Amino acid sequence: FEGRPHPVKRLMKEAAELKDPTDHYHAQPLEDNLFEWHFTVRGPPDSDFDGGIYHGRIVLPPEYPMKPPSIILLTANGRFEVGKKICLSISGHHPETWQPSWSIRTALLAIIGFMPTKGEGAIGSLDYTPEERRALAKKSQDFCCEMCGTSMKTALLPLTSGSVSSQADKEAKELARQISFKAEVNSSRKSDSGPSNMAGLNHSAASREPQQDGAARVFQDPTSATSETQSSSAAASQEHAPPVSTNTSMSPRQRRAQQQSQRRAPSSTDFNRVQQPRVNMNHTGSTVLIVILTFALAALIFRRICLANEYIFEL
Amino acid sequence: MAAEEPQQKPEPLGGVNCLAYDEAIMAQQDRIQQEVRNTHTPQENLLGGIAVQNPLVSERLELAVLYKEYAEDDHIYQQKIKDLLQKYSYIRKTRPDGNCFYRAFGFAHLEALLEDGQELQRFKEVSARSKEELVAQGFTEFTIEDFHNTFMELIERVERRVPLPELLAAFNEPSTSDYLVVYLRLLTSGCLQRHRRFFEQFLEGGRSIKEFCQQEVEPMCKESDHIHIIALARALHVSILVEYMDRGEGGATNPHVFPEGSQPRVCLLYRPGHYDILYK
Repeated sequence: FEGRPHPVKRLMKEAAELKDPTDHYHAQPLEDNLFEWHFTVRGPPDSDFDGGIYHGRIVLPPEYPMKPPSIILLTANGRFEVGKKICLSISGHHPETWQPSWSIRTALLAIIGFMPTKGEGAIGSLDYTPEERRALAKKSQDFCCEMCGTSMKTALLPLTSGSVSSQADKEAKELARQISFKAEVNSSRKSDSGPSNMAGLNHSAASREPQQDGAARVFQDPTSATSETQSSSAAASQEHAPPVSTNTSMSPRQRRAQQQSQRRAPSSTDFNRVQQPRVNMNHTGSTVLIVILTFALAALIFRRICLANEYIFEL
Repeated sequence: MAAEEPQQKPEPLGGVNCLAYDEAIMAQQDRIQQEVRNTHTPQENLLGGIAVQNPLVSERLELAVLYKEYAEDDHIYQQKIKDLLQKYSYIRKTRPDGNCFYRAFGFAHLEALLEDGQELQRFKEVSARSKEELVAQGFTEFTIEDFHNTFMELIERVERRVPLPELLAAFNEPSTSDYLVVYLRLLTSGCLQRHRRFFEQFLEGGRSIKEFCQQEVEPMCKESDHIHIIALARALHVSILVEYMDRGEGGATNPHVFPEGSQPRVCLLYRPGHYDILYK
Protein backbone atom coordinates (compact mmCIF):
# COMPACT_ATOMS: atom_id res chain seq x y z
CA PHE A 1 0.00 0.00 0.00
CA GLU A 2 1.11 3.47 -0.74
CA GLY A 3 1.29 5.80 2.21
CA ARG A 4 0.73 3.14 4.81
CA PRO A 5 1.17 4.91 8.12
CA HIS A 6 4.16 3.82 10.12
CA PRO A 7 5.40 4.63 13.61
CA VAL A 8 8.91 5.41 12.37
CA LYS A 9 7.70 8.56 10.67
CA ARG A 10 5.87 9.65 13.78
CA LEU A 11 8.82 8.85 16.07
CA MET A 12 11.20 10.85 13.89
CA LYS A 13 8.87 13.81 14.27
CA GLU A 14 8.75 13.36 18.03
CA ALA A 15 12.51 13.07 18.20
CA ALA A 16 12.82 16.36 16.32
CA GLU A 17 10.19 17.94 18.55
CA LEU A 18 12.03 16.90 21.73
CA LYS A 19 15.54 17.44 20.42
CA ASP A 20 16.43 20.36 22.66
CA PRO A 21 16.24 19.95 26.41
CA THR A 22 13.79 22.21 28.24
CA ASP A 23 14.13 23.08 31.90
CA HIS A 24 11.57 20.38 32.79
CA TYR A 25 12.17 17.45 30.47
CA HIS A 26 14.24 15.98 27.68
CA ALA A 27 13.99 12.71 25.76
CA GLN A 28 15.75 11.23 22.77
CA PRO A 29 15.86 7.80 21.10
CA LEU A 30 18.95 5.65 21.53
CA GLU A 31 21.29 5.90 18.57
CA ASP A 32 20.58 2.43 17.23
CA ASN A 33 16.93 2.02 18.21
CA LEU A 34 14.11 4.43 17.51
CA PHE A 35 11.81 2.34 19.71
CA GLU A 36 13.84 2.81 22.87
CA TRP A 37 14.30 6.29 24.31
CA HIS A 38 15.98 7.69 27.36
CA PHE A 39 14.43 10.60 29.19
CA THR A 40 15.26 13.04 31.94
CA VAL A 41 12.66 14.93 33.99
CA ARG A 42 12.90 17.51 36.73
CA GLY A 43 11.05 16.80 39.96
CA PRO A 44 8.17 19.24 40.50
CA PRO A 45 9.60 22.29 42.31
CA ASP A 46 6.78 22.53 44.85
CA SER A 47 7.20 18.95 46.09
CA ASP A 48 9.55 16.59 47.92
CA PHE A 49 11.16 15.97 44.56
CA ASP A 50 12.34 19.56 44.29
CA GLY A 51 15.90 19.61 42.96
CA GLY A 52 15.68 16.03 41.77
CA ILE A 53 16.60 15.17 38.21
CA TYR A 54 15.41 11.74 37.24
CA HIS A 55 16.40 9.51 34.38
CA GLY A 56 14.66 6.58 32.74
CA ARG A 57 13.75 4.53 29.69
CA ILE A 58 10.77 4.73 27.40
CA VAL A 59 9.97 1.60 25.42
CA LEU A 60 7.67 2.08 22.44
CA PRO A 61 5.53 -0.78 21.15
CA PRO A 62 5.60 -1.46 17.41
CA GLU A 63 1.97 -0.29 17.30
CA TYR A 64 2.85 3.15 18.65
CA PRO A 65 1.03 5.54 18.74
CA MET A 66 -1.95 3.21 18.71
CA LYS A 67 -0.56 1.57 21.87
CA PRO A 68 1.02 3.49 24.76
CA PRO A 69 4.72 3.69 25.58
CA SER A 70 6.08 1.98 28.69
CA ILE A 71 8.09 3.96 31.19
CA ILE A 72 10.87 2.61 33.40
CA LEU A 73 12.76 4.83 35.84
CA LEU A 74 16.48 4.30 36.33
CA THR A 75 17.04 6.84 39.14
CA ALA A 76 15.96 6.08 42.71
CA ASN A 77 13.28 8.62 43.58
CA GLY A 78 11.05 7.20 46.32
CA ARG A 79 7.86 7.40 44.28
CA PHE A 80 8.35 4.86 41.49
CA GLU A 81 10.27 1.63 41.72
CA VAL A 82 13.50 1.59 39.78
CA GLY A 83 13.63 -0.73 36.80
CA LYS A 84 9.92 -1.52 36.83
CA LYS A 85 7.25 -0.52 34.34
CA ILE A 86 5.33 2.31 35.87
CA CYS A 87 1.70 1.83 36.59
CA LEU A 88 0.12 5.08 35.48
CA SER A 89 -3.02 4.80 33.47
CA ILE A 90 -1.05 6.41 30.72
CA SER A 91 1.50 3.61 30.56
CA GLY A 92 1.27 0.04 29.29
CA HIS A 93 -0.59 -1.35 32.28
CA HIS A 94 -3.75 0.52 31.35
CA PRO A 95 -3.69 0.77 27.58
CA GLU A 96 -7.41 1.43 27.39
CA THR A 97 -7.07 5.06 28.42
CA TRP A 98 -4.21 5.88 26.08
CA GLN A 99 -5.05 8.26 23.27
CA PRO A 100 -3.24 7.96 19.95
CA SER A 101 -3.01 11.76 19.76
CA TRP A 102 -0.90 11.81 22.91
CA SER A 103 2.85 11.76 22.57
CA ILE A 104 6.06 10.98 24.42
CA ARG A 105 5.92 14.54 25.72
CA THR A 106 2.50 13.79 27.20
CA ALA A 107 3.96 10.75 28.93
CA LEU A 108 6.85 12.81 30.36
CA LEU A 109 4.51 15.48 31.69
CA ALA A 110 2.29 12.79 33.17
CA ILE A 111 5.29 11.36 35.03
CA ILE A 112 6.19 14.77 36.42
CA GLY A 113 2.62 15.54 37.37
CA PHE A 114 2.17 12.15 38.92
CA MET A 115 5.25 12.17 41.16
CA PRO A 116 3.68 14.08 44.08
CA THR A 117 0.56 11.89 44.11
CA LYS A 118 0.21 9.05 46.58
CA GLY A 119 1.41 5.59 45.57
CA GLU A 120 -1.14 3.72 47.66
CA GLY A 121 0.24 0.30 47.04
CA ALA A 122 -0.10 0.37 43.27
CA ILE A 123 2.28 -1.86 41.34
CA GLY A 124 5.59 -0.10 40.88
CA SER A 125 4.65 2.63 43.35
CA LEU A 126 6.58 3.61 46.46
CA ASP A 127 5.53 5.73 49.42
CA TYR A 128 8.84 6.85 50.88
CA THR A 129 8.89 9.54 53.54
CA PRO A 130 9.42 13.17 52.48
CA GLU A 131 12.91 13.17 54.06
CA GLU A 132 13.95 10.11 52.09
CA ARG A 133 12.57 11.58 48.88
CA ARG A 134 14.44 14.81 49.45
CA ALA A 135 17.65 12.89 50.11
CA LEU A 136 17.15 10.90 46.91
CA ALA A 137 16.36 14.10 45.00
CA LYS A 138 19.69 15.54 46.04
CA LYS A 139 21.51 12.34 45.20
CA SER A 140 19.81 12.04 41.82
CA GLN A 141 21.85 14.94 40.47
CA ASP A 142 25.02 12.82 40.58
CA PHE A 143 23.57 10.15 38.32
CA CYS A 144 25.16 9.55 34.95
CA CYS A 145 23.57 7.09 32.54
CA GLU A 146 26.04 4.55 31.20
CA MET A 147 23.82 3.63 28.29
CA CYS A 148 23.11 7.02 26.77
CA GLY A 149 25.93 8.92 28.45
CA THR A 150 23.67 11.61 29.85
CA SER A 151 24.84 13.34 32.99
CA MET A 152 22.02 14.68 35.14
CA LYS A 153 23.98 17.83 35.91
CA THR A 154 23.78 18.96 32.29
CA ALA A 155 20.74 17.06 31.03
CA LEU A 156 18.22 19.88 31.44
CA LEU A 157 18.26 23.63 31.07
CA PRO A 158 18.57 25.48 34.36
CA LEU A 159 15.24 26.28 35.94
CA THR A 160 13.84 29.64 34.93
CA SER A 161 10.70 31.30 36.14
CA GLY A 162 9.67 32.06 32.58
CA SER A 163 6.20 31.48 31.21
CA VAL A 164 7.12 28.47 29.10
CA SER A 165 8.25 26.38 32.03
CA SER A 166 5.32 27.26 34.23
CA GLN A 167 3.15 26.30 31.28
CA ALA A 168 4.73 22.84 31.25
CA ASP A 169 4.28 22.63 35.00
CA LYS A 170 0.62 23.50 34.65
CA GLU A 171 0.13 20.96 31.90
CA ALA A 172 1.78 18.29 34.03
CA LYS A 173 -0.55 18.97 36.92
CA GLU A 174 -3.55 19.06 34.63
CA LEU A 175 -2.57 15.71 33.12
CA ALA A 176 -2.05 14.10 36.49
CA ARG A 177 -5.47 15.35 37.50
CA GLN A 178 -7.14 13.93 34.40
CA ILE A 179 -5.43 10.63 34.71
CA SER A 180 -6.30 10.18 38.32
CA PHE A 181 -9.85 11.26 37.63
CA LYS A 182 -10.17 8.59 35.01
CA ALA A 183 -9.57 5.92 37.56
CA GLU A 184 -12.36 7.09 39.80
CA VAL A 185 -15.08 7.34 37.24
CA ASN A 186 -16.91 4.26 38.41
CA SER A 187 -16.94 5.18 42.06
CA SER A 188 -18.37 8.34 43.54
CA ARG A 189 -16.94 11.67 42.54
CA LYS A 190 -14.64 12.85 45.28
CA SER A 191 -11.77 13.02 42.92
CA ASP A 192 -9.99 16.28 43.39
CA SER A 193 -8.16 15.45 46.56
CA GLY A 194 -7.54 11.74 46.28
CA PRO A 195 -5.41 11.34 43.21
CA SER A 196 -4.62 7.72 42.67
CA ASN A 197 -7.49 5.69 43.98
CA MET A 198 -7.35 3.97 40.68
CA ALA A 199 -9.92 1.29 40.34
CA GLY A 200 -7.65 -0.51 37.96
CA LEU A 201 -4.67 -0.29 40.23
CA ASN A 202 -6.51 -1.49 43.25
CA HIS A 203 -7.76 -4.29 41.14
CA SER A 204 -4.37 -5.46 40.14
CA ALA A 205 -3.08 -5.13 43.66
CA ALA A 206 -5.97 -7.19 44.89
CA SER A 207 -5.60 -9.78 42.20
CA ARG A 208 -2.06 -10.47 43.29
CA GLU A 209 -3.11 -11.54 46.72
CA PRO A 210 -4.83 -14.80 45.81
CA GLN A 211 -1.66 -15.86 44.05
CA GLN A 212 0.35 -15.26 47.16
CA ASP A 213 -2.18 -17.20 49.17
CA GLY A 214 -1.87 -20.00 46.72
CA ALA A 215 1.88 -20.01 46.97
CA ALA A 216 1.74 -20.01 50.71
CA ARG A 217 -0.72 -22.84 50.66
CA VAL A 218 1.39 -24.94 48.39
CA PHE A 219 4.27 -24.33 50.67
CA GLN A 220 2.29 -25.43 53.67
CA ASP A 221 0.37 -28.21 52.06
CA PRO A 222 2.04 -31.23 53.63
CA THR A 223 0.99 -29.88 56.97
CA SER A 224 -2.44 -28.75 56.03
CA ALA A 225 -3.85 -30.02 59.29
CA THR A 226 -1.56 -27.81 61.31
CA SER A 227 -1.35 -24.89 58.98
CA GLU A 228 -4.79 -23.67 59.92
CA THR A 229 -3.97 -23.24 63.56
CA GLN A 230 -0.69 -21.79 62.49
CA SER A 231 -2.16 -19.12 60.33
CA SER A 232 -4.86 -18.24 62.79
CA SER A 233 -2.38 -17.83 65.57
CA ALA A 234 -0.16 -15.92 63.22
CA ALA A 235 -3.03 -13.62 62.54
CA ALA A 236 -3.53 -13.26 66.26
CA SER A 237 0.04 -12.29 66.87
CA GLN A 238 -0.03 -10.05 63.85
CA GLU A 239 -2.61 -7.89 65.52
CA HIS A 240 -0.05 -7.00 68.12
CA ALA A 241 2.65 -6.42 65.59
CA PRO A 242 3.20 -2.93 64.24
CA PRO A 243 1.13 -2.26 61.13
CA VAL A 244 3.97 -2.70 58.70
CA SER A 245 3.37 -6.18 57.50
CA THR A 246 0.94 -5.44 54.69
CA ASN A 247 3.06 -2.67 53.31
CA THR A 248 4.36 -3.52 49.88
CA SER A 249 6.27 -0.32 49.35
CA MET A 250 8.56 0.33 52.27
CA SER A 251 11.66 2.31 51.80
CA PRO A 252 14.96 0.57 52.51
CA ARG A 253 15.32 2.55 55.68
CA GLN A 254 11.89 1.60 56.92
CA ARG A 255 12.57 -1.99 56.06
CA ARG A 256 15.90 -1.96 57.84
CA ALA A 257 14.34 -0.42 60.89
CA GLN A 258 11.70 -3.09 60.90
CA GLN A 259 14.20 -5.88 60.55
CA GLN A 260 16.33 -4.50 63.33
CA SER A 261 13.42 -4.32 65.67
CA GLN A 262 12.58 -7.86 64.75
CA ARG A 263 16.08 -8.98 65.48
CA ARG A 264 15.97 -7.25 68.82
CA ALA A 265 12.71 -8.93 69.70
CA PRO A 266 13.20 -11.84 72.06
CA SER A 267 13.02 -14.93 69.96
CA SER A 268 14.57 -18.33 70.22
CA THR A 269 13.28 -19.49 66.91
CA ASP A 270 16.22 -18.94 64.68
CA PHE A 271 16.27 -22.57 63.81
CA ASN A 272 13.33 -22.31 61.49
CA ARG A 273 14.57 -19.05 60.04
CA VAL A 274 11.25 -17.29 60.15
CA GLN A 275 11.31 -13.67 61.16
CA GLN A 276 9.23 -13.16 64.24
CA PRO A 277 7.07 -10.11 64.45
CA ARG A 278 7.60 -8.06 67.56
CA VAL A 279 5.50 -9.68 70.23
CA ASN A 280 4.68 -8.77 73.75
CA MET A 281 5.67 -11.87 75.68
CA ASN A 282 3.41 -11.20 78.61
CA HIS A 283 0.28 -11.42 76.54
CA THR A 284 1.18 -13.71 73.72
CA GLY A 285 3.94 -15.86 75.08
CA SER A 286 1.78 -18.93 75.04
CA THR A 287 0.59 -18.21 71.51
CA VAL A 288 4.15 -17.93 70.36
CA LEU A 289 5.03 -21.16 72.11
CA ILE A 290 2.16 -22.90 70.36
CA VAL A 291 3.24 -21.52 67.04
CA ILE A 292 6.81 -22.62 67.56
CA LEU A 293 5.72 -26.07 68.57
CA THR A 294 3.36 -26.26 65.62
CA PHE A 295 6.18 -25.31 63.36
CA ALA A 296 8.45 -27.92 64.82
CA LEU A 297 5.72 -30.49 64.51
CA ALA A 298 5.01 -29.42 60.96
CA ALA A 299 8.65 -29.71 60.09
CA LEU A 300 8.80 -33.18 61.56
CA ILE A 301 5.68 -34.33 59.77
CA PHE A 302 6.88 -32.84 56.55
CA ARG A 303 10.19 -34.60 56.91
CA ARG A 304 8.47 -37.84 57.73
CA ILE A 305 6.26 -37.59 54.69
CA CYS A 306 9.24 -36.85 52.51
CA LEU A 307 11.13 -39.77 53.89
CA ALA A 308 8.14 -42.04 53.48
CA ASN A 309 7.76 -40.91 49.91
CA GLU A 310 11.36 -41.56 49.20
CA TYR A 311 11.10 -45.09 50.51
CA ILE A 312 8.09 -45.78 48.37
CA PHE A 313 9.84 -44.27 45.43
CA GLU A 314 12.90 -46.39 45.88
CA LEU A 315 10.89 -49.53 46.28
CA MET B 1 5.73 -14.39 60.02
CA ALA B 2 2.95 -15.45 57.76
CA ALA B 3 2.58 -11.83 56.90
CA GLU B 4 6.19 -11.62 55.90
CA GLU B 5 5.99 -14.31 53.23
CA PRO B 6 3.61 -12.73 50.74
CA GLN B 7 5.62 -9.61 50.91
CA GLN B 8 8.84 -11.11 49.74
CA LYS B 9 7.73 -13.72 47.29
CA PRO B 10 5.84 -11.84 44.61
CA GLU B 11 8.62 -9.40 44.01
CA PRO B 12 10.83 -11.66 41.92
CA LEU B 13 7.70 -13.00 40.30
CA GLY B 14 6.55 -9.56 39.30
CA GLY B 15 10.03 -8.74 38.15
CA VAL B 16 10.22 -11.78 35.96
CA ASN B 17 6.85 -11.03 34.40
CA CYS B 18 7.91 -7.50 33.78
CA LEU B 19 11.13 -8.61 32.18
CA ALA B 20 9.38 -11.18 30.05
CA TYR B 21 6.93 -8.53 28.90
CA ASP B 22 9.81 -6.25 28.18
CA GLU B 23 11.58 -8.85 26.14
CA ALA B 24 8.41 -9.67 24.27
CA ILE B 25 8.08 -6.03 23.32
CA MET B 26 11.70 -5.83 22.28
CA ALA B 27 11.35 -8.98 20.22
CA GLN B 28 8.31 -7.54 18.54
CA GLN B 29 10.16 -4.35 17.82
CA ASP B 30 13.05 -6.20 16.29
CA ARG B 31 10.63 -8.00 14.08
CA ILE B 32 8.85 -4.88 12.99
CA GLN B 33 12.05 -3.11 12.26
CA GLN B 34 13.09 -5.89 9.94
CA GLU B 35 9.74 -5.61 8.29
CA VAL B 36 9.73 -1.86 8.02
CA ARG B 37 9.44 -2.00 4.27
CA ASN B 38 5.82 -2.59 3.38
CA THR B 39 4.99 -5.78 5.16
CA HIS B 40 2.36 -6.74 7.65
CA THR B 41 2.44 -5.59 11.24
CA PRO B 42 1.79 -7.89 14.19
CA GLN B 43 -1.22 -5.74 14.95
CA GLU B 44 -3.28 -8.10 12.84
CA ASN B 45 -2.70 -10.88 15.33
CA LEU B 46 -3.79 -8.85 18.32
CA LEU B 47 -7.47 -9.54 18.26
CA GLY B 48 -6.86 -13.21 17.64
CA GLY B 49 -10.04 -15.07 16.96
CA ILE B 50 -12.12 -12.04 16.11
CA ALA B 51 -9.58 -10.97 13.55
CA VAL B 52 -9.46 -14.35 11.86
CA GLN B 53 -13.23 -14.62 11.58
CA ASN B 54 -14.23 -11.04 10.87
CA PRO B 55 -12.54 -8.80 8.38
CA LEU B 56 -12.44 -5.15 9.51
CA VAL B 57 -14.93 -4.46 6.73
CA SER B 58 -16.54 -7.40 4.89
CA GLU B 59 -17.68 -7.90 1.32
CA ARG B 60 -21.25 -6.88 0.55
CA LEU B 61 -23.61 -9.68 1.58
CA GLU B 62 -27.27 -10.45 1.00
CA LEU B 63 -29.20 -9.00 3.93
CA ALA B 64 -30.96 -12.35 4.31
CA VAL B 65 -27.78 -13.74 5.89
CA LEU B 66 -29.03 -12.14 9.10
CA TYR B 67 -31.77 -14.79 9.40
CA LYS B 68 -29.10 -17.38 10.08
CA GLU B 69 -27.63 -15.39 12.95
CA TYR B 70 -30.69 -15.91 15.09
CA ALA B 71 -32.56 -19.02 16.13
CA GLU B 72 -35.58 -19.86 14.01
CA ASP B 73 -37.88 -19.52 16.99
CA ASP B 74 -36.43 -16.13 17.89
CA HIS B 75 -39.57 -14.48 16.60
CA ILE B 76 -38.71 -10.92 17.60
CA TYR B 77 -35.51 -10.83 15.51
CA GLN B 78 -36.87 -12.98 12.66
CA GLN B 79 -39.79 -10.57 12.32
CA LYS B 80 -37.58 -7.49 12.45
CA ILE B 81 -35.20 -8.88 9.83
CA LYS B 82 -38.18 -9.57 7.61
CA ASP B 83 -39.25 -5.98 8.03
CA LEU B 84 -35.74 -4.72 7.36
CA LEU B 85 -35.66 -6.68 4.10
CA GLN B 86 -38.54 -4.53 2.85
CA LYS B 87 -36.27 -1.51 2.98
CA TYR B 88 -32.73 -2.85 2.42
CA SER B 89 -31.15 -5.57 0.28
CA TYR B 90 -27.52 -5.83 1.35
CA ILE B 91 -25.34 -5.60 4.41
CA ARG B 92 -21.60 -5.08 4.88
CA LYS B 93 -20.35 -6.25 8.24
CA THR B 94 -17.63 -4.66 10.31
CA ARG B 95 -15.44 -6.22 12.97
CA PRO B 96 -17.01 -5.87 16.44
CA ASP B 97 -13.97 -4.27 18.08
CA GLY B 98 -15.52 -1.11 19.51
CA ASN B 99 -14.46 0.95 16.49
CA CYS B 100 -17.21 -0.37 14.23
CA PHE B 101 -19.25 2.83 14.09
CA TYR B 102 -16.33 4.87 12.77
CA ARG B 103 -15.17 2.19 10.36
CA ALA B 104 -18.68 1.56 9.06
CA PHE B 105 -19.34 5.26 8.61
CA GLY B 106 -15.96 5.88 6.96
CA PHE B 107 -16.27 3.07 4.48
CA ALA B 108 -19.95 3.61 3.66
CA HIS B 109 -19.45 7.27 2.95
CA LEU B 110 -16.27 6.94 0.89
CA GLU B 111 -17.83 4.12 -1.08
CA ALA B 112 -20.83 6.33 -1.86
CA LEU B 113 -18.48 9.16 -2.87
CA LEU B 114 -17.02 6.97 -5.62
CA GLU B 115 -20.31 7.73 -7.39
CA ASP B 116 -20.88 11.30 -6.27
CA GLY B 117 -18.27 13.78 -7.46
CA GLN B 118 -20.06 16.87 -6.18
CA GLU B 119 -20.41 15.64 -2.62
CA LEU B 120 -16.83 14.37 -2.85
CA GLN B 121 -15.50 17.89 -3.48
CA ARG B 122 -17.47 19.33 -0.58
CA PHE B 123 -16.41 16.49 1.71
CA LYS B 124 -12.78 16.88 0.68
CA GLU B 125 -12.81 20.59 1.49
CA VAL B 126 -14.41 20.08 4.89
CA SER B 127 -11.95 17.29 5.65
CA ALA B 128 -8.94 19.28 4.52
CA ARG B 129 -9.94 22.22 6.71
CA SER B 130 -10.70 20.05 9.70
CA LYS B 131 -7.11 19.64 10.85
CA GLU B 132 -6.56 23.39 11.26
CA GLU B 133 -9.76 23.58 13.27
CA LEU B 134 -8.56 20.85 15.60
CA VAL B 135 -5.18 22.53 15.99
CA ALA B 136 -6.89 25.83 16.72
CA GLN B 137 -8.84 24.00 19.43
CA GLY B 138 -5.62 22.90 21.09
CA PHE B 139 -4.84 19.53 19.55
CA THR B 140 -1.12 19.06 18.94
CA GLU B 141 -0.44 19.36 15.25
CA PHE B 142 2.36 16.86 14.86
CA THR B 143 0.47 14.17 16.76
CA ILE B 144 -2.70 14.43 14.70
CA GLU B 145 -1.27 15.12 11.24
CA ASP B 146 -0.39 11.50 10.46
CA PHE B 147 -4.00 10.53 11.09
CA HIS B 148 -5.23 13.43 8.99
CA ASN B 149 -2.86 12.53 6.17
CA THR B 150 -4.14 8.96 6.08
CA PHE B 151 -7.70 10.26 5.99
CA MET B 152 -6.91 12.67 3.14
CA GLU B 153 -5.04 9.99 1.20
CA LEU B 154 -8.11 7.77 1.32
CA ILE B 155 -10.27 10.63 0.04
CA GLU B 156 -7.77 11.27 -2.74
CA ARG B 157 -7.91 7.65 -3.75
CA VAL B 158 -11.67 7.97 -4.02
CA GLU B 159 -11.13 11.09 -6.11
CA ARG B 160 -8.92 9.05 -8.46
CA ARG B 161 -11.83 6.57 -8.72
CA VAL B 162 -9.89 3.57 -7.49
CA PRO B 163 -11.76 0.30 -7.96
CA LEU B 164 -13.94 -0.67 -5.00
CA PRO B 165 -11.84 -3.73 -4.07
CA GLU B 166 -8.86 -1.42 -3.56
CA LEU B 167 -10.83 0.80 -1.19
CA LEU B 168 -12.02 -2.29 0.65
CA ALA B 169 -8.44 -3.57 0.87
CA ALA B 170 -7.31 -0.23 2.31
CA PHE B 171 -10.00 -0.46 4.98
CA ASN B 172 -8.82 -3.96 5.80
CA GLU B 173 -5.18 -2.93 6.10
CA PRO B 174 -4.97 -2.56 9.90
CA SER B 175 -2.79 0.50 10.29
CA THR B 176 -4.50 2.51 7.55
CA SER B 177 -7.89 1.50 8.84
CA ASP B 178 -7.07 2.30 12.46
CA TYR B 179 -5.54 5.66 11.55
CA LEU B 180 -8.80 6.54 9.84
CA VAL B 181 -10.70 5.51 12.96
CA VAL B 182 -8.42 7.69 15.11
CA TYR B 183 -9.04 10.69 12.90
CA LEU B 184 -12.81 10.22 12.92
CA ARG B 185 -12.61 9.95 16.71
CA LEU B 186 -10.62 13.20 16.82
CA LEU B 187 -13.23 14.92 14.64
CA THR B 188 -15.96 13.66 16.96
CA SER B 189 -14.06 14.86 20.02
CA GLY B 190 -13.36 18.22 18.41
CA CYS B 191 -17.02 18.78 17.57
CA LEU B 192 -18.17 17.75 21.05
CA GLN B 193 -15.71 20.21 22.60
CA ARG B 194 -16.62 23.03 20.23
CA HIS B 195 -20.26 22.67 21.23
CA ARG B 196 -19.66 21.69 24.82
CA ARG B 197 -22.54 23.77 26.16
CA PHE B 198 -24.98 21.89 23.99
CA PHE B 199 -23.58 18.39 24.50
CA GLU B 200 -22.85 18.63 28.19
CA GLN B 201 -26.53 18.42 29.06
CA PHE B 202 -26.65 14.86 27.68
CA LEU B 203 -23.84 13.58 29.87
CA GLU B 204 -24.62 11.56 32.94
CA GLY B 205 -22.57 11.37 36.09
CA GLY B 206 -21.47 15.00 36.06
CA ARG B 207 -18.61 14.48 33.67
CA SER B 208 -17.34 17.40 31.66
CA ILE B 209 -17.22 17.15 27.87
CA LYS B 210 -13.43 17.17 28.01
CA GLU B 211 -13.41 14.23 30.38
CA PHE B 212 -15.98 12.42 28.30
CA CYS B 213 -13.88 12.87 25.17
CA GLN B 214 -10.78 11.61 26.91
CA GLN B 215 -12.53 8.58 28.31
CA GLU B 216 -15.15 7.64 25.73
CA VAL B 217 -14.23 9.21 22.41
CA GLU B 218 -10.50 9.48 21.77
CA PRO B 219 -9.24 6.14 23.13
CA MET B 220 -9.54 3.32 20.59
CA CYS B 221 -12.14 0.57 21.01
CA LYS B 222 -14.56 2.74 22.98
CA GLU B 223 -18.05 2.16 21.68
CA SER B 224 -20.22 4.87 20.21
CA ASP B 225 -23.62 6.12 21.23
CA HIS B 226 -26.07 8.73 19.97
CA ILE B 227 -23.90 11.58 21.15
CA HIS B 228 -20.90 10.35 19.12
CA ILE B 229 -23.03 9.94 16.01
CA ILE B 230 -24.60 13.39 16.34
CA ALA B 231 -21.16 14.95 16.75
CA LEU B 232 -19.51 13.19 13.81
CA ALA B 233 -22.47 13.86 11.52
CA ARG B 234 -22.21 17.50 12.51
CA ALA B 235 -18.44 17.71 12.15
CA LEU B 236 -18.46 16.48 8.55
CA HIS B 237 -21.97 17.61 7.57
CA VAL B 238 -22.91 14.09 6.58
CA SER B 239 -26.35 12.83 7.50
CA ILE B 240 -26.42 9.35 9.08
CA LEU B 241 -29.39 7.02 9.41
CA VAL B 242 -29.26 4.26 12.01
CA GLU B 243 -31.77 1.40 12.06
CA TYR B 244 -32.00 0.26 15.67
CA MET B 245 -32.74 -3.41 16.05
CA ASP B 246 -33.14 -4.93 19.51
CA ARG B 247 -35.51 -7.11 21.51
CA GLY B 248 -37.98 -4.25 21.93
CA GLU B 249 -41.63 -4.57 20.90
CA GLY B 250 -43.05 -3.46 17.58
CA GLY B 251 -41.90 -5.97 14.99
CA ALA B 252 -39.86 -3.36 13.11
CA THR B 253 -36.52 -1.64 13.51
CA ASN B 254 -36.45 1.97 14.73
CA PRO B 255 -34.86 4.35 12.26
CA HIS B 256 -33.14 7.50 13.58
CA VAL B 257 -31.67 10.15 11.35
CA PHE B 258 -28.81 12.35 12.58
CA PRO B 259 -29.35 15.27 12.40
CA GLU B 260 -33.11 14.89 12.54
CA GLY B 261 -35.05 15.59 9.33
CA SER B 262 -32.02 15.49 7.03
CA GLN B 263 -31.59 13.32 3.95
CA PRO B 264 -29.38 10.42 5.02
CA ARG B 265 -26.26 9.55 3.02
CA VAL B 266 -25.07 6.65 5.16
CA CYS B 267 -27.32 3.86 6.50
CA LEU B 268 -26.17 1.76 9.42
CA LEU B 269 -27.73 -1.15 11.24
CA TYR B 270 -27.40 -1.08 15.02
CA ARG B 271 -27.71 -4.18 17.09
CA PRO B 272 -26.79 -3.84 20.76
CA GLY B 273 -23.11 -2.96 20.88
CA HIS B 274 -22.49 -3.08 17.14
CA TYR B 275 -22.90 -1.24 13.83
CA ASP B 276 -22.94 -2.65 10.28
CA ILE B 277 -23.53 -0.97 6.91
CA LEU B 278 -26.90 -1.27 5.14
CA TYR B 279 -27.61 -0.90 1.39
CA LYS B 280 -30.91 -0.37 -0.38
